[in-house]
Amino acid sequence: MISVDVGMDVGKIDVMTSNEGGLSSDQIAEMARKKIIYIADDAPPAIRDQAQVFADRVEDTLRYYIDLAKREERGTITQTLRNAGHTDIAEYIRRL
Amino acid sequence: MAITQAMCTSFKTELLTGTHNFTNGANSIKLALYAISSGGKSSSTATLGATTTAFTTTGEVASSGSYSTGGGALTNVTPTSSGTTAFADFNDLSFTTATITARGALLYNSSASNKAVAVLDFGADKTSTSGTFTIQFPTANSTSAIIRIA
Repeated sequence: MISVDVGMDVGKIDVMTSNEGGLSSDQIAEMARKKIIYIADDAPPAIRDQAQVFADRVEDTLRYYIDLAKREERGTITQTLRNAGHTDIAEYIRRL
Repeated sequence: MAITQAMCTSFKTELLTGTHNFTNGANSIKLALYAISSGGKSSSTATLGATTTAFTTTGEVASSGSYSTGGGALTNVTPTSSGTTAFADFNDLSFTTATITARGALLYNSSASNKAVAVLDFGADKTSTSGTFTIQFPTANSTSAIIRIA
């Protein structure tokens, strides 16, 4: 008899949700970090700890630049609205 | 009445008969959201698991924001392998300005008569209120990817 063992598996997904608006910078940074860095559950403790420190720093950096991108985008939108004469809306968006 | 994470048994058979093609740009794989209590589009709640064979509207969450019944289309990442394990992956999927409570999801192939692929259990109700509902797929590797054949 010839047999071949084949295993099939379904991975674990993450769900991120928000209320009254979009995802926060923290949530987006965490999602991005998970895509960039994978730490195996069975990694040796010393390596896992080092990897976790690196992952935390990557997430902090991502969060900073996500916030910066949001501010810069709002700045561009604000100026575009001002140029079009919508000063009230421009000020509202600037204060977000 | 439950949602149990599983690779659908019918999908395993259909792999052997060449029904599904996960190559980017080939079959359209969709993800539909389901509720087991409130949040369902009807009084019926979802019962999904290994025996699920196709997309069903029973227990699917109602349309809200950018979520429309039937679910959202996924962007396939062409399958690859590492070592002796082959795996498939998808880009993350977000539904915006949506009020949704879901307990799980069904991956299905809308290019193949809506045949079921896999059932995903969120472990608990996940809720967005006038916000974003994002499904993030795991790292695409031989130990974590969403669909793996070892």
